[in-house]
Amino acid sequence: MNAARHVVFVCPRFADGATLGGAETLLRAQAERVARAGWRVTFLTTCARNHVTWRNEASPGRERIAGMTVVRFPVDEKRDVAAFLRMQDRLSRFLRLSAGEERMWLANGINSTALCEYLRREGGAAHCIVVGPYLFALTDAVSRVFPEKTLLLPCLHDEPFARLACVRALFERVAGVLFNSRPEQELAKRLFDIRPNASWVVGMGLEEFAAEPGRFRKRTGVKGPFVMYSGRREPLKGTPLLVNYLDLFVRRTGREIRLVLTGSGAVTVPPTLATRVVDLGFVSEETKHDAMAAATVFAHPSWNESFGIVLLESWLARTPALVHAGSDVLRHHCRVSGGGLWFSCYPEFEAELELLLGNEPLRRAMGAAGRRYVQSEYAWEKVEERLFAALGSPPKSAGPPA
Amino acid sequence: MTESPFEIGGAVPDAARIVEEIQRTVEARRRAGAYADPRLMLAEQANLLHRSRDANFLDLYLAGLKDAVFVDINDFDIRERRRYLAPWLVRLKKGLWNLLKFYTYRLWSQQNEVNGLLLTAIEEMDRTYRARIEALERQVGLREAASSEPRDAAPPPQASNR
Repeated sequence: MNAARHVVFVCPRFADGATLGGAETLLRAQAERVARAGWRVTFLTTCARNHVTWRNEASPGRERIAGMTVVRFPVDEKRDVAAFLRMQDRLSRFLRLSAGEERMWLANGINSTALCEYLRREGGAAHCIVVGPYLFALTDAVSRVFPEKTLLLPCLHDEPFARLACVRALFERVAGVLFNSRPEQELAKRLFDIRPNASWVVGMGLEEFAAEPGRFRKRTGVKGPFVMYSGRREPLKGTPLLVNYLDLFVRRTGREIRLVLTGSGAVTVPPTLATRVVDLGFVSEETKHDAMAAATVFAHPSWNESFGIVLLESWLARTPALVHAGSDVLRHHCRVSGGGLWFSCYPEFEAELELLLGNEPLRRAMGAAGRRYVQSEYAWEKVEERLFAALGSPPKSAGPPA
Repeated sequence: MTESPFEIGGAVPDAARIVEEIQRTVEARRRAGAYADPRLMLAEQANLLHRSRDANFLDLYLAGLKDAVFVDINDFDIRERRRYLAPWLVRLKKGLWNLLKFYTYRLWSQQNEVNGLLLTAIEEMDRTYRARIEALERQVGLREAASSEPRDAAPPPQASNR
């Protein structure tokens, strides 16, 4: 009986207010959908809100949010942050870690002993446990409690962390894996020995929204064509690359074009581009959607994506996209939908942006194709079908805890 | 005749075909020297794709460096942004430039010499290390082939010993 089914979701942070990361948003959205279908949902998370400081900001305890019971636990404070960062830094520079160093990295990562103890005590009756993303000590610890009914939602990227032995053990320990896209699933199959019939491509559903480009232009005063980027500003997300490319594009082509940025984080803009950049910072969903609809082109220069929520949102707003060819996931979305083009170097970026700026029928056709793709692949009804297929049948033959 | 991928007649755009077409165009333009622009190398620095293809990126950098290495000191206009008194200010700047030439040219020629030597040194280092790596790779290949030979080419069992 559905009503008797109890699913536990676990994520280091709970997506509310300013706490907005792709993985957090995805886990919460899936949990809400499961709760809406009449299943009992408990969402276990920590008291941390900031992904840099990991300070316990929220109060521990339980509350009811959107039909779920959300229970918060403090993050373990006894950890050697310096040792963790040292290992993290070595990994970022593509250096290998020994087995001992991997253990040190895990032991000093973000974890919550209280959360794991609660899960051990209360999770026995749960139908299954969904935990993610993969890159946290908490995820590893949770996967060891009831591996036979744990489904991992990894949000996997092709990065040095994905090649750690402890990460391989995590993927091979759990009962199943929920991926956001086919290229993410293919990457995992290349890296790990995932049991057959124990992985599903689920993703997240996207709701239709009413966007008004005119409202955005009136509110911000932005005139003329513009390229938009939305999300965290950091090298792995490709923001410095986009700024460099657009600066050069303006200088080489003499085109009148602006760059509109929404999201958090610092971005260094060269003086030659300064007057053409409109940095709106953190904005409401309504403003973001209006900006997407007003944009001439949506740029997603990120390298590390397992899903690409903002790309799909920009397509719902009928805006064509330019994405970095280094991201298999973004390239896959563009190839399958016909909603965007991909570049691997500046000359390709220049030629593609020139093409889109000068060809309005192509822009419209690509925007429409992207929109159709999102509606057919990432409407909630489709996503729910895949999600419940995964939740309904976690294989029973999981290996013992490592 | 094949239809251009850029012309849309209500159909779903074939993104892969458009990108292929653009890559071909870019390659032709690259051969024609359209991207021999030192600013392009600077813009590419943040491109993470190059981190996984260091050798290619070095080629790209060296090509750019070759184009930019010998600076032409006369390759700029003397201008004045302020409209007021602009013709006089331009004349003043040109006069100052002529007065400073004897000193600036000396610095410029030294800088060009240093740039040229640095480029030669980097190219030489690149050539040397590439040759060494290739030699090592050949050796590794030969050793791997040698170690797998006995298993692959094992002699047939000698039935005539009976």
